[in-house]
Amino acid sequence: MPAMIEVEGLRRRYRTRRGPVEAVAGIDLRVEAGEFVGYAGPNGAGKSTTVKIMSGILLPSAGRVVVDGLVPYQERKRLARRIGVVFGQRSQLWWDLPLSDSFDLVRYLYRMPAATWRRRLDELAGLLDLGPLLPQPVRTLSLGQRMRAELAAAVLPAPRVLFLDEPTIGLDIEAKAAVRGFLRHLNAADRTTIILTTHDLDDITELCDRLIIIDHGQIVYDGTIDELHTAYGSTRMLVVDLADPAATLTTGPDWAGAQVVRAEGHRRWIRFAREGISAAQLVALVLADHQVLDLSIVEPDIEDVIRRIYRGETRPPGTVPPP
Amino acid sequence: MVEDLLVYLRLAAAAVRANARRPAFLAARTLASGSIAAVEVAGMVLLLDRFGTVGGWRAAEVVLLAGLAFASQGLALTLGTRLEADNLSLLVRKGTFDQVLTRPVSPLGWIVSSYVDTRYLGRLLAGVGAVVWAGARAGVEWTPGRVGLAALAVTSAAAIVFGVLLLSAAFTFVTVQGSEAGNVLVYGGAYLTSYPMQIYGSALRLLFVWVVPLGLAIYVPALGVLGRHGPPGLPASLAWLTAPAAAAFLAAGGLAWRGGVRHYVGAGS
Repeated sequence: MPAMIEVEGLRRRYRTRRGPVEAVAGIDLRVEAGEFVGYAGPNGAGKSTTVKIMSGILLPSAGRVVVDGLVPYQERKRLARRIGVVFGQRSQLWWDLPLSDSFDLVRYLYRMPAATWRRRLDELAGLLDLGPLLPQPVRTLSLGQRMRAELAAAVLPAPRVLFLDEPTIGLDIEAKAAVRGFLRHLNAADRTTIILTTHDLDDITELCDRLIIIDHGQIVYDGTIDELHTAYGSTRMLVVDLADPAATLTTGPDWAGAQVVRAEGHRRWIRFAREGISAAQLVALVLADHQVLDLSIVEPDIEDVIRRIYRGETRPPGTVPPP
Repeated sequence: MVEDLLVYLRLAAAAVRANARRPAFLAARTLASGSIAAVEVAGMVLLLDRFGTVGGWRAAEVVLLAGLAFASQGLALTLGTRLEADNLSLLVRKGTFDQVLTRPVSPLGWIVSSYVDTRYLGRLLAGVGAVVWAGARAGVEWTPGRVGLAALAVTSAAAIVFGVLLLSAAFTFVTVQGSEAGNVLVYGGAYLTSYPMQIYGSALRLLFVWVVPLGLAIYVPALGVLGRHGPPGLPASLAWLTAPAAAAFLAAGGLAWRGGVRHYVGAGS
């Protein structure tokens, strides 16, 4: 069965005053229907170029792109009926008109049957708590309210693929939670394929099954977040408070490389690798010799891993370093 | 096709509603746009009254030409002001045009309908007012045939101005920065066609009759309205050519627009 998104050998060059620049330098990827994919990379890595090509806004220089069976730049209008695109920093709503007018116009633009439209709008208004906002002019909405409205307008025609570009940028914690909760629901209930471009790694860890990292126009990582930690040797930290502040933790071969990296009063920090020893085994080792008042486990910081990837300090096996 | 048209009408209605949410602002802008045209016509009348005739045409007859030119320009700008270089280059630079390309409609249809600017109706109305006033002064008897000729002049010339806007838009897609070249024809064209064609040298006349056929679209039907025969080579009987010439020019503009969009999609921003 063909995938929802198929990209093969995608390249895109721009002509600039300083000569040609290759924004996308050979990308291959497959996204199956119903996947929730995080798409990350530093500024200028080629993220938005790829998304523009997949949504039919830009022509590729080379390579093959098929989205839901359509070649985007050849069948732009047909594809536009099946995809939703939300740019976090630009509005797709009718600024001076009541919010309900925007939803009305979407109905006609996407030729939705009245009953389908009504049912879908009621559902979305409930999920995103838009009811009281419907009569308000869009320009009077707060950023969080507007982003909920943008999402509703984009998914009202029930797109098969949703492209999101920084949907949580500038939002407060509560508004971010509302957006994330809705996206999770959309992906689970409607099986909408979602491609989320973001710099907010919390978006990715909370939502995405799969993470693609692009740098210098090439994919430098494609896999789950757990695999990312393994591939890049991420470590976790066990923090224990010992009853005896003077006690020393002696590490042995059964500690599998776990190390005490810091000691302060009652507290000890032990760094350990995922593939070496499990948290449970390590805790058991500590408890065998010491009386422990309290303990906690700190998960590895994905931001730290990704920063290392951007800096090019570390690369998973089999990937090509950038030119 | 019909469904597409309904979508564009709804988009245009939304644009008008958005304009109308600040009625005082809208009224002021419409009035200003109409007043500018009215002042231009008044200046023309004052000047011509002093010097008698231009190329054998009395003041009222010249004002009839100017009225037709302003009306057509007002109509074209109501629909196409967003295609003007500065406006379109802003849409491109802000990324709004990218969003337009994600909609299941034609980008031209979207831009024309979503950005209908009713303030230029002021110019259209001032032009029509000038035609009515000039007709009374020049003793035009408004038979259905003459009303038809005047309407033909306004719609044909509007189509040509719109064609110029499309050409300028195509140019903007390539340069992104926009250029004044289109404005020269949109505003300069209306000014030049406000005077009878025979006063111009052959090069300018050639340009405005046969290349950008604004002269053909306004001057020739006006000959018929005023019961004049026209100079050699440009008789009133050429009026039949007005609509096809305007259609051809508009089609050329349409092709240029498509080329411009294709370039945009190919080049990106």
